[in-house]
Amino acid sequence: MSFEGFPVEVSPIYEGQRIRKEDMYVEFGGPSVDRKFELVLAASMEEVEDGAVKIIGPDLTELKEGGSYPLGILIRVAGAKVEKDLEPVIERRIHMYTNYVEGMMHLNQRYDIWIRISKKSFKKGLTSLKWWGLALIRLFKAEMPFIEKMEVNFITDPEKVKEWYQKALQIYEARDARARTIRDEDVDMFYGCVLCQSFAPQHVCVISPNRVSLCGAMNWFDARAAASVDPKGPNFPIPKGKCLDPIKGEYEGVNEVVAKRSMGAVKRVFLYSMFQYPHTSCGCFECIAFYIPEVDGVGFVHRGFRGPTVNGLPFSTMAAQTGGGIQTEGFLGVGIEYFRSPKFFQADGGWARVVWMPSELKERVKDAIPPELYDKIATEKDAKTIDELKKFLMEKGHPLGIKLKEMEAAVAPPPEKPVEAVPAVPTAVPSVAGIEVTGIPVSAVPTAGGGMKIILKGAKITVKKLIVKKVEASKKVEKK
Amino acid sequence: MSRSEKLVIAVAGKGGTGKTTIAALILRALIDAGVKSILVVDADPDSNLPDVLGVKVEKTVGDVTNELKRAIDKGELPPTLSKKDLLEYKVFKVLKELPTFDLLVMGRTEGEGCYCMVNDVLTEVVDTLSKNYAITLMDMEAGLEHLSRRTDRDVDYLIIVTDPSKMGFQTASRIKKLAGEVHIQFKRIFLVGNKFFPQQEELLYKYAEEIGVEPLGVVPYDENVFRYNLEGTSLLSLPSDSPALMAVREMVKKMGLI
Repeated sequence: MSFEGFPVEVSPIYEGQRIRKEDMYVEFGGPSVDRKFELVLAASMEEVEDGAVKIIGPDLTELKEGGSYPLGILIRVAGAKVEKDLEPVIERRIHMYTNYVEGMMHLNQRYDIWIRISKKSFKKGLTSLKWWGLALIRLFKAEMPFIEKMEVNFITDPEKVKEWYQKALQIYEARDARARTIRDEDVDMFYGCVLCQSFAPQHVCVISPNRVSLCGAMNWFDARAAASVDPKGPNFPIPKGKCLDPIKGEYEGVNEVVAKRSMGAVKRVFLYSMFQYPHTSCGCFECIAFYIPEVDGVGFVHRGFRGPTVNGLPFSTMAAQTGGGIQTEGFLGVGIEYFRSPKFFQADGGWARVVWMPSELKERVKDAIPPELYDKIATEKDAKTIDELKKFLMEKGHPLGIKLKEMEAAVAPPPEKPVEAVPAVPTAVPSVAGIEVTGIPVSAVPTAGGGMKIILKGAKITVKKLIVKKVEASKKVEKK
Repeated sequence: MSRSEKLVIAVAGKGGTGKTTIAALILRALIDAGVKSILVVDADPDSNLPDVLGVKVEKTVGDVTNELKRAIDKGELPPTLSKKDLLEYKVFKVLKELPTFDLLVMGRTEGEGCYCMVNDVLTEVVDTLSKNYAITLMDMEAGLEHLSRRTDRDVDYLIIVTDPSKMGFQTASRIKKLAGEVHIQFKRIFLVGNKFFPQQEELLYKYAEEIGVEPLGVVPYDENVFRYNLEGTSLLSLPSDSPALMAVREMVKKMGLI
């Protein structure tokens, strides 16, 4: 690309350049300026004056050297293929392309930008913002040919910046609101993350719009950006392929990629369930979801909670068996943002299945909890043991508490009649979502019946010495 | 912007050997010689380099990393906001920009949870920043924590500081070994003696040979350094004929930095 006639060079080699305070001519935005923003708007063909760079307010030569000034960058684009959804994508490139200009530093995005222009480049002739605008237009049109028309407005008049700043904030907010509504169904591509494979070699994090990474640090947008910047890096695209089960969240493409990236260790993954084929857990998860068989519910504990949970085990103990990149039914590491997902454990009953979480965590995700369930979910202040939990759930009328009550009523014999035959104990209890789950409320049921199945989850059994003796032989010895 | 003319120098050593003092004196020698663009990185959470340089630091990289982590946890960040860009902005904000050098204090990342992602991003951010300076001078802790986390991929010179003690030498030897394990190609590794009596200088040379590093000499006891440190005055304002500064200036010349 030719930038002939430009006073300074424009090239990717200048990416990452920082202008020291001592070397800067002026700066726009940054911490000492209240209002600054950059905004790209899709417009109709008539609304855009193609190739124009307008400076609304003082230009570089009219600003005092060494000063910090407000700035609004307002870019209008038009083209047959230019849609509203592309606005943020185009906007993100302002950062990259500005850094191509020799002697220009650009940091961050949106309403927190920081731009510096070096004394050296100013002396070379970069004396007007016009050059910056022209460079942007040329780079954008070359790299994103779908942009047919483009105009750049630099607003330096403080009053005008103020005016537009409010509008810009509203537009960002509207975009975020729209981004939050994106569902797994709306996209063809999920992303994988293997940043944690140094700790958990078989672990592959599957990141979809409705499923944040376990560490909580990577959402679908982050992973998409990272994968496009560095395709050989720890983040990569996963074409989701055919949806095999929309409730459990099983996708053909996910299964394939996970099998490959986990060296064949994991072959199937359910994205929205903790049973059968749950997602693996690294070691970095923010929270652990753990199944509580006695009430057929799910408890949560976050990393910062020190004490024992309602099942008697602290985070650290459960973390050891949850992590390591293996599939452990009934135990799952999750990121906190997942609580806000519309697919939050949807295969297992979602929020209606949640019975316990530390009060701190409950407060943090308060906005995500259905209001009618909020008071029915126990914390460490309500229940420290399974028995207390049962009592709490029944008292508060938690959906699972109601089930427990019904079951106790069905199982317990009427008090006036003598106990003759105890009805057979059910071995499976239908869950809220209609999934069969083994593990029955053991202690709620009289133990007289036969055919009971006890599943120990999260238990560690230590046997110090095991002696196997033939009973017959020992009897004989005793007789003598 | 050619990379070859830019140098990253790390100063390491056991706590108490005066490694921070040496780093400050190297900085002073570079400034005196007119080196224009210097980034000083305080990568030792236990050090007090900013105090020794007379710079007040309100916030560290660790602080802003923790801020980012908390914001992520609370779901406060807009979903499409680039975390890398945000961290880059925040790191640049805590960079202390002074007339003769810039100072970045790493501090600590506190708290629990996964820092894989933020550390990965931080590595990139600090790397990118440091490439903008002719010389990056780092004050490291003995465990080379930041090196093993690869917070700096391109360390050219490693300067190990020791005092005349078994512990000092042992630490020096361990750092040398560690340097081989963190997969960084150091162009040169040096040994500097501090708090040595003049007659002990031989010891340093002998030891440097033993562990296979280049000896740079010893820094003599200096009344001025002692007094400045006691009073909390910046070592950057030492008289230029202070014995310790003169010795360090010679070393900086020996390394070919000025």
